Amino acid sequence: MPNIEIDGQAIEVAPGTTIMEAAESLGIYIPFFCYHPKLSVAANCRMCLVDVEKAPKPLPACATPVADGMKIATASRKAKMAQQGVLEFLLINHPLDCPICDQGGECPLQDITMGFANPHSHYTEEKRVVEDKDIGPLIATEMTRCIQCTRCVRFGQEIGGIMELGATGRGEHMAIGTYVAKAVRSELSGNMIDLCPVGALTSKPFRYKARSWELKHTPGLCPHCSTGCNTDVQSLGREVLRVLPRTNEAVNEEWICDKGRYAYTGLQAEDRVTQPLLRVDGEWREVSWAEALDAALSGLEQVIARHGAGRLAGLISAQSSNEELLLFQALLRGLGSPHVDHRLRQQDFRADAAMPTYPALNMALEDLEREPVVLLCHAFPRQQQPLTNHRLRKSVLQGGKVIAIDSLRRDFNYPVTQLVADAGADLALYKSLCSQLSGHAEKADATPLAHVASDLLAADNPLILIGSALLHHPQAAAMIAQIETLAELAGGRVGWLAQEANSAGAWLSGCVPHRLPGGHTAHAAGLPADALWDADMRGFVLLGTEPGMDAIRGAAALAALQKAEFVLSIAQFAGEAKRYADVILPMAAFAEGSGSFVNNEGRLQSFQAAVKTPGEARPAWKILRVLGDGLKLSGFQFNALSEVTAAWQHTIREYALDVPPFHAFPALEQVPMPMSADGLCRLGDWSIYQGDPLVRRAAPLAQPAVAKMHPDQAKVLALRGDSVEISSHSGKVSLPLVLDVRIPMGAVWVPMGYSETAALGATCAPCAVTMATPPAAAASA
Amino acid sequence: MLSEKSLAKIARERAKYPADQARSALLAALRITQEEQGYLSDAVMEYVADLLGIPAIQVYEAATFYSMYDLKPVGRHKLCVCGSVSCFLNGSDAVLQHLSERLGVDPGETTADGLFTLQEVECLGACKDAPMLQVGDHYYENLTPESLDALLAKLRGGSDDVR
Repeated sequence: MPNIEIDGQAIEVAPGTTIMEAAESLGIYIPFFCYHPKLSVAANCRMCLVDVEKAPKPLPACATPVADGMKIATASRKAKMAQQGVLEFLLINHPLDCPICDQGGECPLQDITMGFANPHSHYTEEKRVVEDKDIGPLIATEMTRCIQCTRCVRFGQEIGGIMELGATGRGEHMAIGTYVAKAVRSELSGNMIDLCPVGALTSKPFRYKARSWELKHTPGLCPHCSTGCNTDVQSLGREVLRVLPRTNEAVNEEWICDKGRYAYTGLQAEDRVTQPLLRVDGEWREVSWAEALDAALSGLEQVIARHGAGRLAGLISAQSSNEELLLFQALLRGLGSPHVDHRLRQQDFRADAAMPTYPALNMALEDLEREPVVLLCHAFPRQQQPLTNHRLRKSVLQGGKVIAIDSLRRDFNYPVTQLVADAGADLALYKSLCSQLSGHAEKADATPLAHVASDLLAADNPLILIGSALLHHPQAAAMIAQIETLAELAGGRVGWLAQEANSAGAWLSGCVPHRLPGGHTAHAAGLPADALWDADMRGFVLLGTEPGMDAIRGAAALAALQKAEFVLSIAQFAGEAKRYADVILPMAAFAEGSGSFVNNEGRLQSFQAAVKTPGEARPAWKILRVLGDGLKLSGFQFNALSEVTAAWQHTIREYALDVPPFHAFPALEQVPMPMSADGLCRLGDWSIYQGDPLVRRAAPLAQPAVAKMHPDQAKVLALRGDSVEISSHSGKVSLPLVLDVRIPMGAVWVPMGYSETAALGATCAPCAVTMATPPAAAASA
Repeated sequence: MLSEKSLAKIARERAKYPADQARSALLAALRITQEEQGYLSDAVMEYVADLLGIPAIQVYEAATFYSMYDLKPVGRHKLCVCGSVSCFLNGSDAVLQHLSERLGVDPGETTADGLFTLQEVECLGACKDAPMLQVGDHYYENLTPESLDALLAKLRGGSDDVR
């Protein structure tokens, strides 16, 4: 172990430690720009030059490993001269536009210049100007400010797995960019803004909104996927102005994805509700809370009085906090209704009894980095859980192997062996993999399936992860049962990739029709979400959800809601609810309420309200409490959120972090795939930025809905032009067609979560695709 | 996009490096491509990226770094005037200006007759005889206005001293 001395302080460090790391452990600050502990060492900014005894020239601390007996001075005359010289060179071309630069106040170049620069410059000539680039709606560029530290380039290559940014040109002409003008398309791109040590890359939606020192910081949690990334919600007055990552090495390290970073922009949507709304004779009226609550209570009471509580159902978003979930199911069950669910996207519930207490990863996120062999079953974490995906990417970069089984080829940002099912034949693919594993299949060693089987058999305890797309499949139950067999044959273990921020909390809190809080079996099981649409329900209570876009059969959901006698919607946004609700109660949205989530690992984390709720909106737990109280239900006497949290903890008690992935399977009734011989199979899942009411309204993230099809399939159907009409038994939609070789033959991909595509109904159903009639022709006809 | 002959040459270069280090063959691949095509268009750079299986940005980075690669069509004779420190101290600016006046183009431009492209480049390693310029495979050193005029006359006279 080398013994060294920095600024007179002795320290013993592990061999290979750099001077920078050793100084950091002593609490000695060395200025730097290009160095970043999560990125490779570039040593190109030269800011961290230090004076090493017996070395003829100053050495870069970030790139110099220590040697025994090294004596380092970080503030000697030689070190200071070097620092001043480097800064003078960096500032030659850096514009003095701090007053109009968004980085001002949180700029390492500004801070280090104040701390280390010589106030006089020898340079009197002109500064260079770099042409600006448009790299998309999320990142604003001002490339003249760039000091070529290449952090963004290294982030793209090493963390994002995208190779779009680079340093082109040489010397004075070097510039960071995409060369051929292109938007940076990575779900992690926003992190480059945080990494940029100057104002070259800044947040476009945040541009010119505020100065960093004016902002209030509140510890938050990202509500957009099950990873549970820790965030720093920054606000000014009543407005959330930006969301940045908050470091938690065990969860999100120091990154967040673009969905978590920019979804807040949806808070400003036009249809935000800030006042209770009541439908009076078909017209919407803004009313007082007292009037709205009266209407809500009498509406619910009338449905129960006329039709019984069995005709009332409650659906809640899995982005709700534990506290809200607990109170929501208590409200429904207290009224006598067993129909409580959060799984709007699921259509096959035959395996409900076999489902785990909650969808648990069954391991720590950090340990995913060290998994040698992982099998993803209809999981595409790059879109669904971007930072869980980052852990898997790290494992692959370290020699791990990831295999994916899915309905289509996916665009992973690391090498993955992919098995793609024939259109709609997903279950059959799992079955054939099982027969390969059990050695029953005919010997055909060269097939990809056989390779995957031998990889799984060779692995010691491979990890099998079940993704949310599998749950949305019409044969989900049979596929889950097949995966249990598969795990046994491969000698592997199973974890679930939960979909939403609080999917785990929703199961634990009893927001499923067959389980009570804590996972206890309900005596009288209710109907699951998708069955409600055909069950002649007379009353609905919705919380934070838009079934038209969130349910697997959006059109059927809308029809059932419109037919119901009474619909109470507790919502952040009124757009969809106005089509069917009778009372809309405005609830706190992201960053406006407090509470807790359970993430995919089973980690219980809490978040604080960053801003006041707008107008008359109230936190959902308070609304539920008042409703419970008004309906004279017991167990709603809470004065503060902490009391609800305590009740949750008392009810749920200790839950295991490692839960059996399956309970005993019930006998599964066989359901045939609803495919007709000549139809195409409609594939589809919720797109990355369409998964919940808030992110759907985030304008900078918006991507238009398009249908995708294999070019050969389009040729077979003689489809020309870019607009097609897709019809299923439940309806038809018109969409632009994009040709994509990743879609299997015999299928068309139509995304979920768009109001434009809701009419098509459930996925994996037969449909037909034809050329759309051009509007001009239709008009003349 | 490239001829069989060029593809074979690139394949030979590629084989010199380990399987996971395709990027090492990039400089040679770009040189071979430019020899055939005259210059490197965006499309041909993307083609080379696919050929080697590396991201296109890495091709752009290399192609924009080295002044020997041309990203636009160039004239028959490319006059590469060194502007690095030894040549600069010995009057490379005057050389550039002289050529600029004689040819009627600025550095980076090509004459209307397509005969000459004038370019300032980084050090070519002939510091002892600064100032200097390179045309094709030849160095012309200790340049004076007279020697430059003589060179232009020789090149105009149909010398095949190109590339």
